[in-house]
Parts: sequence; structure tokens; C-alpha cells
Amino acid sequence: MKMKRLLILAFVSFLIPSLLIAAGTKESAADGVIELSVYHYLDQTDKTTAPNFQHLVDVFEAANPDIKLSFEYGYGESFHDKLQTMAMSGQLPDIVLLYPGERTSQVTSAGLVKDLRPYLSGHEDEFADMAMQAQGENGEIWELPEDISITSIMYTNNRLLAELGLEYPKSYKELLAQGPVIRKAGLIPISIANKDAWPMQSCVAGMLVERACGMEWWDKALSGEASYDDPEFVYAMEIIKELNDKQMFSPGTNQLAYGQGLDDFVNERAVYLLDGGWTVNSMVGELTDEQKTYMSLESFPDIPNQKGQSLSVSATAGQGFGMNTKLSEKEAEAAWKWIWFYSGPEGSAIRQQYGRLPAYNLDEPEVADPMIKKLIAFAGKVPMGYVMDAVIAAEPIGTFNINLQNMMFDTMSPLEVAQDLERMVSSVGR
Amino acid sequence: MTYARQKHMSYWILVLPGILVFASIIIFPVLFSFSLSFTTWNGYGMPTFAGLENYRTIISDPVFRHSLRNNLLIVVISVFGQIPIGFLLAYLLHRNMVRHGSFYQTMIFLPITISPVVVALLWNQIFSSSGMVVALVRSFTDNPQYVIRIFEDQQLAIVPILFVLLWMHTGTYMIIYYANLQKMTPSVLEAAQIDGASENQMLMRIILPSMIGTIATTAIFAISGSLKAFDLIYAMTGGGPAHFTEVIAIYMYVNTFKYYKYGFGSAASIIIVLLAVGLIMLLQYFSRRLERRFE
Repeated sequence: MKMKRLLILAFVSFLIPSLLIAAGTKESAADGVIELSVYHYLDQTDKTTAPNFQHLVDVFEAANPDIKLSFEYGYGESFHDKLQTMAMSGQLPDIVLLYPGERTSQVTSAGLVKDLRPYLSGHEDEFADMAMQAQGENGEIWELPEDISITSIMYTNNRLLAELGLEYPKSYKELLAQGPVIRKAGLIPISIANKDAWPMQSCVAGMLVERACGMEWWDKALSGEASYDDPEFVYAMEIIKELNDKQMFSPGTNQLAYGQGLDDFVNERAVYLLDGGWTVNSMVGELTDEQKTYMSLESFPDIPNQKGQSLSVSATAGQGFGMNTKLSEKEAEAAWKWIWFYSGPEGSAIRQQYGRLPAYNLDEPEVADPMIKKLIAFAGKVPMGYVMDAVIAAEPIGTFNINLQNMMFDTMSPLEVAQDLERMVSSVGR
Repeated sequence: MTYARQKHMSYWILVLPGILVFASIIIFPVLFSFSLSFTTWNGYGMPTFAGLENYRTIISDPVFRHSLRNNLLIVVISVFGQIPIGFLLAYLLHRNMVRHGSFYQTMIFLPITISPVVVALLWNQIFSSSGMVVALVRSFTDNPQYVIRIFEDQQLAIVPILFVLLWMHTGTYMIIYYANLQKMTPSVLEAAQIDGASENQMLMRIILPSMIGTIATTAIFAISGSLKAFDLIYAMTGGGPAHFTEVIAIYMYVNTFKYYKYGFGSAASIIIVLLAVGLIMLLQYFSRRLERRFE
């Protein structure tokens, strides 16, 4: 009798954890509906992007009733932490948002996602050239880029400029000369919030490196024929240092959380805002109709002894969805339907209406918000260089971001920042 | 089967699930992390044996040394700030030296009931460059460029965080000491009072010696908590600007999860454990000496 009790006890002890584990497993789809799990980068509390994305999902599901997408979201660093955990535990979702360059290389380099070229075949010319650049060593396309991200736009408040008796500067020196006039009026010359350390690199440094060094140098640096401690690169760092020392950036820029830069600009406390094209998405909702008439998108003025292209910006093909290698043929077809919908003509047209700059080539929309029209026009006229974090590995660029802050606090010199980047890049491999 | 054997077996059956869970979520990760600390591994493929290279790199890294310095400052503010102030507050309340004691008790304990992320946002709202204090100073001084420079000072940027940690955790220690003080037999203090002992004598000769065990235990909590400090600091500053407020746990997190250096991150976590064990052993040595002195 006692033995029987012991056996029941043992059975229950193991049954409960087993049930708890089993409760987490996915059930197979019924009625011919293909169910796919999707991991996406989204701030679900964002009142603009979250409903916009949901609209895209609704449109897709209405057109494809045989496909059911189950979304899981991550945002900020937690998105990447979770993605890593999923990848390492062999539980990568069926469809996953991936980044170009090194940001999600733990997934792409490990062969966990399919090469999309066979699916994309014949449609390559429909995308911007930048979006069709190889993402893998053998030319693989791991994710279909949704947008082109211009990361260094000088948003300009022309009303404030006119009130101060100024015009948009034609040269860097003219820009510096505007600083005291703008500050005297109690305004911020260039709004930028660099607490997270990446904005100064992504929105300023990459653009200045192209201006100071040129694209030929950039390509040589990426292949190892030029060095990041070359005088041209150091010169680009010196420009950032000078802008900081002459108080051109937001006061306490390294204490300001990203978002504060836009806030200061939208509330007309700043004359210029240095930020990416994605900010237009927020400006559509945050600027009044009147403000939209006098806000313009400009390039940072040319710098002295410039070797790069005049009025160039830094830009990269953005993130996009990729699919798990483990998918069956039928599941992969369904996954591709979503990927193609999202980054292809249909989804791109919808996203363009929301203020994005799709990687898929679209005609300029007839009806669109003025800021979106300005962004499209701007993208069509400016030469583009590299975004540093899209072409340099995660660790060197992470250290570089921090070193830019150090440089602004005088704890490192521009030369030391450049030398440290070269050392890091050389140690991890180009 | 004999009764003793059945009893023995039933113990095992009852304990085994717990042991398995403990082994799988505590012992295995610790051992795995320890072995991983001698390798280089980026999360996929096979780890490569690297000997003590990770430890050598960490110890020679100025960012790690600054993080360690910040951690030690947190240990100092916890052991020599939170604990004495917590004790003092508990003593004042216990001896009825303030009116409306229960009100103060609630107010002092309140911060610990708030999520560290909320606390971080709250203090950021007050002191950041876009916060309330800066806005007020800018408007009073008519200086739109004003910012609080302490946040941009390599040596002092950690100070505001130490203050927030002091504000946040002192209440916990106060409650622990208050509970232990209430357990003391009142007749001992009454007898001392009748014998003419002053408040100071009662504190130093009766109350403090009887609290040494509790103080040592809270100091262990303070040290281990200080060395793994992460959430509040990460939410407040992310370790920045320029690593100025970084602590070892953030250093480990960044290297492991941003740079995919799992071996390196494991070595950093092992260093945290070794530091914690070392400091706690030191503390136990001193507390034993003190206990012997008052025996």
C-alpha cells in the first residue's frame, strides 16, 4: 500500500512539470490554414508605428485567409537579446526581422535563415540598388530590405532662420558663424540627443567621414587598404569635436535620451535637427500643417578641404524579414508571401503613405503628407555614402560610439578615437 | 522493503524534482559559465579554448577597472551608508524618539516598493538635461545652455546614482533592523535604565552587540546586491555617458549580448562571483571577531 502511494507521489511529481512544459508547445494548424510565427521589432506602445504596422497585417490577412501570422514583438536591446536566445536554443520563429550588416549576424552567419534570392529572382531591378547589395559572403540576400534609411538629414526650421535674419548656410564655416546668433536668441543650433551614443555616429560621423575622405577611401578602408587612423578620418572626428566645443549641439547632448532631439525641434526650441529619415514618420503626426510649410530637409553644408561628394548623406538599406531554413516548401511559400507583401509593391505603397522611404521603387504618391513628399524629393537629389554601423562590426562600432562621447568630454582626442577604431577593426577582422 | 528504507526513498522522491530544477537552472549554468570563461565563443559553432586570455583582457581593460571602481563605491555606500542610516532610523523609531513614527516608517520604506525602472525614469525626469531641475535653473538664470555637469564628469557621474541607491534601499534595512529591535526583551533595557545607563551606553553596550548577527547578514545582502547592481543603473544611464557610470554587470551584459562574446562575458560574471565571495568571507571574518569580543 505504501509502495503504491510512493509510486503515485513520484508520478505526480514528474507529471506536473511535464504538463507545464507541454503547455508551451505550438499546436499544428488545422483546416489547411498555414500558421507562421513572426518575430518583429516594434514598440507596441508607440501610437504611430504600432497601429500602422497592424494595418499592414490586417490588409495581408484579409488578402490571404489561408495564412495565419502569430506575432511576437521585441523592442530596443531586448529584441536582440531575445533573438539571440531564440537562435541559440534552436527556436527561431518562422519569419524574423533581420538587419543588414553585423547587427543580426548571429542568425545569418549561423545559416539559420534561407537565402531569399531564388524567391526574389526577376524582381531585383524593382528595388533600389542599395537594397540589393549582397548580405552574405556568397552574395546571399538574407532579408528583403523594407526601407532605405537616410541617417543624416539636417531638418531645418526656416521660420526661425528668417526671424534671426539668417539663411541656410552654404558652408560649414557659415554654419559655425550662426551658432552665437542662434544661442543668443535662447535657441539650440543643432538638436541631437546622444545619450544612447549611436546618434552621433549614425547621424553625423558617417556623413562627415564620406565628406572628409570620399567614397574611394571608404571602400579602401573597408577592404583594409586604407586605415581608420588616416588623417582624413581624423579630420572628420575633428569636425565633430569642433561642433561640440563651439556649442552647436544641444546642451548636455550626451545626457539627452533619443526622442528629446525631435521634441526640441518640433517645439521650435532648435533651428536644426540632425536625425534620420525615419523621423519623418513621427513628424507627420507631430508637426502642425502650418509648421510643415516652413520645415525643410537639407544636407549638412560642405566642409573645408572636402574630398567626398558635395552635400552627401549617409544611407543604408534597412532591415527586413527573412525566413527560417527549417520551413517546409509550403510554409516557405507562405512566408515569402508575407515578406513580398511587406517589402514589395503593396506593403511599400502603404508604408510610403506613413512616411517611410521604401527600398522598393515607387512613383511619387499623388496624395501624401507634405513632409513625406519632401523626404522623397530629398532622397532623389542627394548623393549617398555609408552608414558606419552598417559596414563595421558590432564591437568596434559600439566602442567607437562611446569614444565619440569621450572625445566630446575631452577624455580622448580625435586621433585617439581614430586609432582605437583602427585597432578594434583590425583585431576583429574587417 | 523496511520502513527506514521507504522513508529514505520517499525523501528522495520528494526532493528529487527540486534538486533537478535547482541543478538545471543554477548549478549547470554556473558550471557552464565557468567552463565557458576559458573559451572564445560567439554563440554558434564550437567554443575555442583560450586559457586565461579573457581574464587577462578584462583585468587590463580600463573600462572594467572603472566599472569595478563604481561597484566598490556602491558597496561602500551600501555598507557604510544604507546600513548605518537604516539602523539609525530603526533605532529612532523603536525608541519612540520621533512623533508619527508609523508615517515615517511607511515613507522611508516606500521607495523599495517601486520598480527600479520607474525610479530611474523618475530621477531622470528630475535631473536630466530635459528634466525639471535643469528647466527651472535655465529659466531663473536665463541661461539656456545650463546642464548639470556632474553627470558628464568621469569621476563624479556615479554620485547621483549612489544617492538614488541610498534613497531607494535604506528603507529595506530599516525594516529589518526595526523588526529585530522589536524582538529584544524590553526588560533588559528597562533594567539598564533603572541602573542609570545613558541612551548612548544602552545603544553601544546592549543594543548594538545583540544586533551584530543581523548587521552581518544585512551587510552580506548589501555586498552581493551591490556587486550585481544592474537594473536601476541600466535604466538610468545605461552605464553612460562614455562608460562613466558603468558597473561590472553592465560591462558583462554589453560584451555578452551586444558583442556576442559569451566566453568573455562568462569570465566577467565569474569575477563578480569571486569578488562577492571574497568580500563576504572578509566580512564574516570581521563579524566573527566582533562577536567574540562581545561574548
